[in-house]
Amino acid sequence: MTERVTEPFAVGDVVADQTYWITREHLVRYAGASGDFNPIHWNDRVARAVGLPGVVAHGMLTMALAGRLLTDWAGDPASIIEYGVRFARPVVVPDDDAGVAVRVAATVSEARDDGNVALEITVRVGEQKVLTQARALVRPPVPDGARAE
Amino acid sequence: MPIDPSVVGRNYPPQPYEVSREKIREFAEAIGDRRRSYVDTQAARERGHPDVVAPPTFALIPVMRGFDMLMADLGIEFARIVHVDERITYSRAVTVGDRLQTTTRLDKVRQVAGNDLLTVRSEVRDEQGGDVCVSLATLLVRPEDEGGSGD
Repeated sequence: MTERVTEPFAVGDVVADQTYWITREHLVRYAGASGDFNPIHWNDRVARAVGLPGVVAHGMLTMALAGRLLTDWAGDPASIIEYGVRFARPVVVPDDDAGVAVRVAATVSEARDDGNVALEITVRVGEQKVLTQARALVRPPVPDGARAE
Repeated sequence: MPIDPSVVGRNYPPQPYEVSREKIREFAEAIGDRRRSYVDTQAARERGHPDVVAPPTFALIPVMRGFDMLMADLGIEFARIVHVDERITYSRAVTVGDRLQTTTRLDKVRQVAGNDLLTVRSEVRDEQGGDVCVSLATLLVRPEDEGGSGD
């Protein structure tokens, strides 16, 4: 019943890897939920006028999806101590039902003495990194059986 | 015209933001996150929270309102701003009922290739003055008379 993890987190371990899909509908929902109504996130005409190929996702929506990977892994939003990203490339969202696939993976970059884990997060569309310098400091999940209830 | 360097260090007064249950639910749905602690008080309590909590990047809602205030003060239109990077350090999770106070400060301005790069520090506190989180953001402001040819 009590599984013991002897060496819980080693540098280089990929602790989570997930693909999220972003559609135009997500952008509309996120605009309303976040209050970010910049038209480049819902209007192709405006997006093209500023030199984009079309409507792009809110950088902070992409950041939120990578954040989901972190909270899903850690088990709670309060486990995120620090989280930062650089919005390197726009995520173009096509006007179709499938949307665009964003693949997020988190790798341990440091296991600290206090038990916290530093993660390096890669966020890609196809082979291109859309977020760079994406890093988080997280209190890792407690292994089953070791949790103090 | 580049931003007048005398604005660096400008502090904006704390802006209130009250965290509602329905806004957290709406935000969690918008990012597709079905975690029970975002909608169910009991589930949140089982995780040791006083009530429903918000996803980590929810904190950017009040932070962005501060950006809007700063840009309005500097006379910069929304369409010229590009969010370059964002880093948040958390003291605790945002919780339903929080009456947040967000102070915004323009920490630094530098010019890079004809654009202004602004470093903006936002401190989010609760009603009692307790730290909730600190955001450090870089915002790029494109020059006013861009020809629209892109890069």
